[in-house]
Amino acid sequence: MNRSLPLIILAMAILAFATTLLVIVPKFQIGHEPAPAGLHPYTAQQQRGRDQYVALGCVYCHSQQPRTPDQAPDAERGWGRASVAADYAYDSPHLMGTMRTGPDLMNVGARLPSMGWQLSHLYQPRAISPWSIMPSYPFLFEVKDKAAPGDTVVWLPAKSAPPGKVVVAKPEAIDLAAYLIALDRTYPVPSTAIRDDGYAKHGAGR
Amino acid sequence: MSDDRRPVDERFEPYEPRRRVPLPVYWIAIALAIWGTLTLWRDAHAGFIAGRQRGDEAAADTRRAAAPGADLFLARCSSCHQPDGSGIAGAVPPLAGSPLVKADPSVVVRILLRGIDGPITVAGQHFDGHMPSFASVLDDDQLARIATYVRARFGDNASAVSPSDVAAARAWAAGHPGPWRGGDEIRAALMPLLEPQPAYVASLIAAPDPSILALVQHGTGGGWSCASCHGDLGEGHGDAPRIAGLSSPYLLAQLRAFAGGARTSDAMAPVATSLADAQKIALASYYSQLATPSASVPALQGALDRGEALALDGDSAKGIPACFSCHGSSGFGVAPAFPPIAAQQPAYTAGRLAGFARQAKQGSHALMPSVAARLDDADRRAIADYLATLPPVPTGTAPPAEQH
Amino acid sequence: MNHPEEPAEAEPLSDLKKGQNTSRGIYAIAGGVMLFAFGALVAGVIHSHGEQADTSKSAPADGKIAFTPPPESKIPDGPGGDSIRHGMAIFRNTGTEAAQYVGNGLTCSNCHLDAGRKPLSAPMWSAWVSYPQYRSKNKKMNSMEDRLNGCFSYSMNGQGSPSGGPPPKGDPIYTDLEAYFHWLATGAATGAKLEGAGFLKLKKTPLGYDRLRGQVVYQQHCAECHADDGQGRTDLNSRSIFPPLWGPHSYNWGAGMTQVNNAAGFIKVNMPLGAGNTLTDQQAWDVAAWIDSQERPKDPRQKGSVADNAKAFHNKEQSFYGKTVDGHLLGTGTPPAH
Repeated sequence: MNRSLPLIILAMAILAFATTLLVIVPKFQIGHEPAPAGLHPYTAQQQRGRDQYVALGCVYCHSQQPRTPDQAPDAERGWGRASVAADYAYDSPHLMGTMRTGPDLMNVGARLPSMGWQLSHLYQPRAISPWSIMPSYPFLFEVKDKAAPGDTVVWLPAKSAPPGKVVVAKPEAIDLAAYLIALDRTYPVPSTAIRDDGYAKHGAGR
Repeated sequence: MSDDRRPVDERFEPYEPRRRVPLPVYWIAIALAIWGTLTLWRDAHAGFIAGRQRGDEAAADTRRAAAPGADLFLARCSSCHQPDGSGIAGAVPPLAGSPLVKADPSVVVRILLRGIDGPITVAGQHFDGHMPSFASVLDDDQLARIATYVRARFGDNASAVSPSDVAAARAWAAGHPGPWRGGDEIRAALMPLLEPQPAYVASLIAAPDPSILALVQHGTGGGWSCASCHGDLGEGHGDAPRIAGLSSPYLLAQLRAFAGGARTSDAMAPVATSLADAQKIALASYYSQLATPSASVPALQGALDRGEALALDGDSAKGIPACFSCHGSSGFGVAPAFPPIAAQQPAYTAGRLAGFARQAKQGSHALMPSVAARLDDADRRAIADYLATLPPVPTGTAPPAEQH
Repeated sequence: MNHPEEPAEAEPLSDLKKGQNTSRGIYAIAGGVMLFAFGALVAGVIHSHGEQADTSKSAPADGKIAFTPPPESKIPDGPGGDSIRHGMAIFRNTGTEAAQYVGNGLTCSNCHLDAGRKPLSAPMWSAWVSYPQYRSKNKKMNSMEDRLNGCFSYSMNGQGSPSGGPPPKGDPIYTDLEAYFHWLATGAATGAKLEGAGFLKLKKTPLGYDRLRGQVVYQQHCAECHADDGQGRTDLNSRSIFPPLWGPHSYNWGAGMTQVNNAAGFIKVNMPLGAGNTLTDQQAWDVAAWIDSQERPKDPRQKGSVADNAKAFHNKEQSFYGKTVDGHLLGTGTPPAH
């Protein structure tokens, strides 16, 4: 092969360029962002719920990254302000997701803070939204004849409730719901916080 | 010409002779490079400008918070008391010449903190007023500036009020929940020399049924508990709206609309369907009587000045009437059809306006869809954030914090 | 080995030409791509800057001149500005600022929307440049003060006010209102035909107007705000938010709004507030007829009987004055408001 040295040098240069721009510079940009005062580390229960979230593959349909108003009307969808780098301070790995088959969940805890709602919805999404295409997760629940003391009974509209029985949430369901309710990034962030301002022309229309 | 007499090189590797790169390739390469650079620069510039705008907005918010008393008065008081403090005959007492303004500074501050509910006589004129409490939406410093301005302008240059005065009054007000019971209580507690005041007649408020409280707090009897989404005091959260202090007919109409499908909401439909009509009536009445402090804060990066202009004056160029021209002065609502919009959760307001705009696209010519269709995304966020800064609609009852 | 010159030599002339054409084509395409790239960039830059540029004023329609009054923030400081501001306060809050001379629950800005700014709701900037004016209503040359006197007498029902009539000649209320109008008309040419002046002259419909058809329209489109009984609605402080349309707290029988054509033109463009121009012409005519065929305070000019007064003042009007509706003679007036 002729001129292999220049080719190798060029290839390495391209790799180095990409690494610098995509890895090293961002590390310097966001590596020192402190966690916002309003953001709390996950509790043990919420962490278990987060593991459930990962294991059940929620991330394949739900993003966790609301966009700025000039990229998408996410704020008006009730999904909250555009996320900033610091919002993910306790997320390792982050669960930003790329697909929006379902709604963004970055602030689902602010939007739907009811544990009861979350449990009913996990048991059977179509009990609440007849048109929903979200899978149901009946294996996170037990159907019993009678609730034992200490059981978390899940309320269901009459048409979805198993006749004559009660639906009781397993600990996994409660963990997952606790994690979802903890997803609440409605605290204010400084105007200088690092974020993606997207392709908006000159940032106008913000 | 090449030399044919040389022996053939067995290890010869074929190669192309160096040829001049055609000029067009340079052109394309240069054009693409410039395009790429400019695009990168523009993107970076977008971030830069957006950051600067955010900075400007933050500065504007800081300025707003530190606005002199005159600006605060115009923004917070003048839609009822009028810019010249003359009030509105038969509805809103005047500030100009009012003995309450000239009195001890604590009078104005304590009225601002608690609000007034009930009849009051000011300078011989009789009013049956409902003034909101500003305790949950303005800080000590802002209240001190408003009080100072009001007293200087309408109280014959009465003395200034300091933030520490307000802090002291706030501590006192914590022990005296709920609005002043008309001019009578003010006279008895603060100003024995005030002109005779009409007697306050407490409106009869039925204590809520225990089964309704169970429904509100624990959801026993149908659906998830109201409080699990709308908060313990109906103050709302995210896009679960504030429902405290909304009029009973309006709340009842909404519950029935959710149950009948005339208004769609995935969270409300199953609940409203499971509630009996008597429960709906009791819930509507319960929430209409709650005087809950505002828990709404601007959250959508809306431009508050634009929101204020739209709420107070509308935008004639875009054919948008002022919000307050139908929802009442200060957004306290006009029963039965126009709900209070003051202190509403911003995500709910903006989402509802966007929903109305969608209805307009689907061909609705109803009032709100027609208006909302003329609001763009930035306007919706501006209005929603501005309304979140307003004091909640005054209702006659004390916040039921003691109830649980 | 290559012999680059040989093929060239061997190449027939036609092939050479073809090669030249090909390379010209490549040059042309490359140039095109470059032009496109730069064009897109330039267009993008111009577009993003153009967004901030204000839209040029619309061309005047049918020879009338477009006009926009100055924004409120441009009111000057000082005593002159104070007079303008007070005029605006009177306009918006007439019942308080001119309490002595208002005998109903209306304000100027109830009909002259946006505090007298809105086109086609008889805006004050167009009124200012058309006075003094001869009016057949009182058969004389009217100054702006004369006109305002008429407003207070009829639309504001001055006869029911504490003073029993409109403000006396030379009252500062007139001065301040005129100061406000004068300022609103800043930049408008005297006597100019301005776009959006007065009310819309709504074309007559083949069906004419009918008060009972209007009642149906009223129930559907108006009653939510103005209430079934037309008495309007107040907020929790009893402050009027939606004005009364008839009855003792509304305009009296001498007001221009009692003429169905005026009311229809106003309603068509401005009502329901925020959803103007959603009613059909027919609906606007009918609902105007329903509203203006209700009893209201009597005409202060009335000396003799309603019939005499109808002949004297309401002869040429499209009005229900003096007509009998549901067995009631309209024009007899409502009992005085408390």
